[in-house]
Amino acid sequence: MIMQDFLTLVLEPFREVFAGFKRFAPNMLAMLTILIGGLVFARIVRALLRKALTALSFDAWSDRMGFTVMMRKGDLWTKPAEAVVRVVFWFLVIFTIMIGLSALKVHAVNTLVAQFFLYLPRVLSAVLILVIGYVAAGFLSRTVLIALVNNGYHYAKVLAEAVRLLLIVLILAMALEQLQVAPNIVVAAFSIIFGGIVIALAIAFGAGGIEAARRIIEKGAAEKSEGKDDIQHL
Amino acid sequence: MSDFYQTGVITTLHRLGKPSLERIEGELLHFSRTRPVALVLPALYSEFEGPAMPKIVEELSKVKYLCEIVLVLDKASDKEFQKVREFMAPIPGDVKIIHNDGRRVMEIYDTFKRNGLSVGERGKGRSAWLAYGYVIANGKCDVIALHDCDIVNYSREMLARLCYPVANPNLDYVFCKGFYSRVTNKMHGRVTRLLVTPLIRSLQSLGGEHRFLKFIDSFRYPLAGEFAMSTDMARVNRIPWDWGLEVGSLAEVYRNYSPRRICQVDIADTYEHKHQVLSSEDPEKGLMKMTIDICKSIFRTLASEGIVFSDGFFKSLSVAYLRLAEDTIMKYEADAAINGLEFDRHEEAKAVESFARAIAMAAETFMKNPMGTPLIPNWNRVTSAIPGILDMLKKAVDEDNR
Amino acid sequence: MTKIVERQEIRTILDRVGSADIVVGIPSFNNARTIGHVVRAVQAGLAKYFPGHKAVLVNSDGGSRDGTMDVVRSTRIEDQAAILVHHRIDPVPVIATPYEGIPGKGSAFRAVFEISDALNAKACAVVDSDLRSITPEWVELLLKPVLREEADFVAPLYHRHKFDGTITNSIVYPLTRALYGRRVRQPIGGDFGFSGKLARFYLAKDVWGTDVARFGIDIWMTTTAVANGFTVSQSFLGAKIHDTKDPGADLSAMLYQVVNATFGLMETYPEVWKKAQGSEPVRTYGFQYAVGLEHVNVNVERMLGIFREGLRNLREIWIAVLGQGDFGEVEALGNTGDEAFHFPRGLWSRIIYDYALAYHQRRLPAEHLIKSLTPLYLGRTASFVLEMRDADQSGAEEEIERLCEEFEKNKEYLLNNWK
Repeated sequence: MIMQDFLTLVLEPFREVFAGFKRFAPNMLAMLTILIGGLVFARIVRALLRKALTALSFDAWSDRMGFTVMMRKGDLWTKPAEAVVRVVFWFLVIFTIMIGLSALKVHAVNTLVAQFFLYLPRVLSAVLILVIGYVAAGFLSRTVLIALVNNGYHYAKVLAEAVRLLLIVLILAMALEQLQVAPNIVVAAFSIIFGGIVIALAIAFGAGGIEAARRIIEKGAAEKSEGKDDIQHL
Repeated sequence: MSDFYQTGVITTLHRLGKPSLERIEGELLHFSRTRPVALVLPALYSEFEGPAMPKIVEELSKVKYLCEIVLVLDKASDKEFQKVREFMAPIPGDVKIIHNDGRRVMEIYDTFKRNGLSVGERGKGRSAWLAYGYVIANGKCDVIALHDCDIVNYSREMLARLCYPVANPNLDYVFCKGFYSRVTNKMHGRVTRLLVTPLIRSLQSLGGEHRFLKFIDSFRYPLAGEFAMSTDMARVNRIPWDWGLEVGSLAEVYRNYSPRRICQVDIADTYEHKHQVLSSEDPEKGLMKMTIDICKSIFRTLASEGIVFSDGFFKSLSVAYLRLAEDTIMKYEADAAINGLEFDRHEEAKAVESFARAIAMAAETFMKNPMGTPLIPNWNRVTSAIPGILDMLKKAVDEDNR
Repeated sequence: MTKIVERQEIRTILDRVGSADIVVGIPSFNNARTIGHVVRAVQAGLAKYFPGHKAVLVNSDGGSRDGTMDVVRSTRIEDQAAILVHHRIDPVPVIATPYEGIPGKGSAFRAVFEISDALNAKACAVVDSDLRSITPEWVELLLKPVLREEADFVAPLYHRHKFDGTITNSIVYPLTRALYGRRVRQPIGGDFGFSGKLARFYLAKDVWGTDVARFGIDIWMTTTAVANGFTVSQSFLGAKIHDTKDPGADLSAMLYQVVNATFGLMETYPEVWKKAQGSEPVRTYGFQYAVGLEHVNVNVERMLGIFREGLRNLREIWIAVLGQGDFGEVEALGNTGDEAFHFPRGLWSRIIYDYALAYHQRRLPAEHLIKSLTPLYLGRTASFVLEMRDADQSGAEEEIERLCEEFEKNKEYLLNNWK
């Protein structure tokens, strides 16, 4: 009798664990299947993408378009097609892992996965802001540069670079804000940097620029009195 | 050796009197402010284990007028590259080493290939060409000087004399080739003595006066690997990547510039360098390839100038060459005798025989495929095909040297 | 885009008129001050030189607020006897109407083409609405060659001051001459004569939603006529004096408009300009006489100042467009003093071709690219002014002729690099 009870006592925890394991096992299996399946899928996609990009001479195209130069300037020396393939591959792997984890149906993990997927759109929009913002900053800065040069301003390049810098600081702050990385600090830092640049410009032009400003004004007045070109370009 | 005879159509700058090294280096320092000079050194790692390199590094450490030195290192592993960097460390100023086998530069070579630009096989031509690209990318230097790294009796006077004509803004030279005599206990330079000069002269006797032949014949040592040129030339010239490098480069110079702006300079009383490459293979084979490439280069240039080649022409050429070469042997025998140098007539004759065979083989290859040009495209062409390539090259080399 | 001829009021007039031999179009926008003179000159010209032809005057307006169209409608030649030999019986029908489409001279012309097509006109002409130097003879000079069926297109030929029209003289004329092989001296003149057939051809082209409608219409008309094999000629009209456009008008904007249109046309007709070699003169009508032209002030220092600033600030852009070699030459120019400044012709032609290539390869946004040409253009103009200081009109023309030869010589460079 006592032996019987003792055995039951000893085996009970094992039975409980085993039962728990039995409940959990299907989820575990599901996760493993998803992981393996996802990995295989990612590998297939990687191989196909590699073949496709090679067939399209993606590398040569990237060389001519200037994307390769950008990579090299960042000291990245992989072939452009390879870089794209790797980014896609790892993205698929992470995606798979996330889905696999959600199959575990563990509450804490679920919240994590949900947050990951909720965060993805923010990452996307941050990347978009960076890319579009970078191009726009370059475009605007060049517009300013050319306009100032054609009007004969000596400090055209300085001003154009300042414009670009301000815009890039703005873009970075916007991207960080999207990613919700310490938002208050980002706002404060942005205000300080932006304001700082503007003040620095003001001081520079104020102190050093008094002479220059005077010359510009005098030159402008002289030009008006002697008259600009009388030739008709058109 | 000392005379002041002006050969042919280019200017010859002799060693006259007792030129002072301090004076010439002082002037070069002054010129370098308006016409900065870059030195390109194509090198194999094995040369760093030889006797010449330490002397070269020692001499270069004392040179003050160079804007930058670009050494192109071929056939070296990453560790060997680092060793070379340490080796070159004593030299002050901007020294960059292009690691041909490093992953960054290999990626650059692959970039050429996948954009349809054939830059040839590994070798001195390709290495030098890449170095020109780096110098152009840096945009700092107006003059490029180049010499080998196996010169055993190197002195910085050689470099100074080589750079001077092109660096001096008051003289209007865009290209300057070095010349010297390669004499130790016997006369070397068989290919120059017994192939190039007799070949050029027999071509002249058959085909009549031709400006290009006259031009090549003006050079006292057309196969010298030492020259200086203006950076603009590096943008425009297409150089061969095979052994026809020296002759082919002269052909490009002839094509693009007037002979009045080209000169040659006596850079040394004696000059000794070791052809490590040839001694490791069957000397017969190595020399054969070199000879064939040189002949092909000459035929190609002449064809592009309008000369018509035929089988009959080549037959006559072989006969004329053999005749002339035999006469040349006799001349050199006398030259060796009076100067007490060793002279093996049999060896010279054997060389002439192989050269004659090589000429025939070159003729055959040329007739079959006259357009087979191993010419590397010039940098203007490359930059228009791949707009950012110079930035990429600069980044690769700068990162490797960080 | 609605056709102007579909509008009710226009339809009525067109039905009434039926058909016409000649249509003369005057585009306008707030030109009430000057358009009266132009209308009178056109009416006098039609009456004097084409009394037996049925003509219609079209004023294509861009929505003027100063009563331009009223001026047009009410203008008559007052003292006909003093100007004319024969009295004309029927007054010339006048259609003054706002045009349809994107605001711009091109849309205005389109209205003229449509009306010409609807009336089955044999010959048309267009003249600017602010011309002060227009005479009745202009009407004859622009229309007669077309009516005699000797030409499909008549470009104007003005006698201008040696320093006027520098954009034409240094860019548009040499470039279009080298490209298309015809020596049309003033391709963006603005006053043209053309056949009804050509007007229909223009109408059929689908360009009315592009920049052509805004400001590229002049070069477009000339190039389209030349490139499509129409018979092209030019008529000497004398001096061109018109209301000076706002002197503060941005030079780089003007440059952009003209050069953008010219480069854009290269994309349309590559097979034509790639084949053309050298250049041929076009038949020139009219009696060429010398016109007294006063001295003009040119602020060369300012031009050179902008050129040098451009060299400092636009380095990267210029190197990317011109390549190291040509940029090196430009850089060397930056170091020469004002008096010794000389912008070589060969270099200028290569620069223009480099810009055309960069435009074709879309290396930069078109506006940035072309506006970055401004300092180079000013440098070239300054050099031209300095060299031609003491030259007379024919001396300056010779220099321009040499420039054109340079463009023709270097065309190979363009052909080799155009991919």
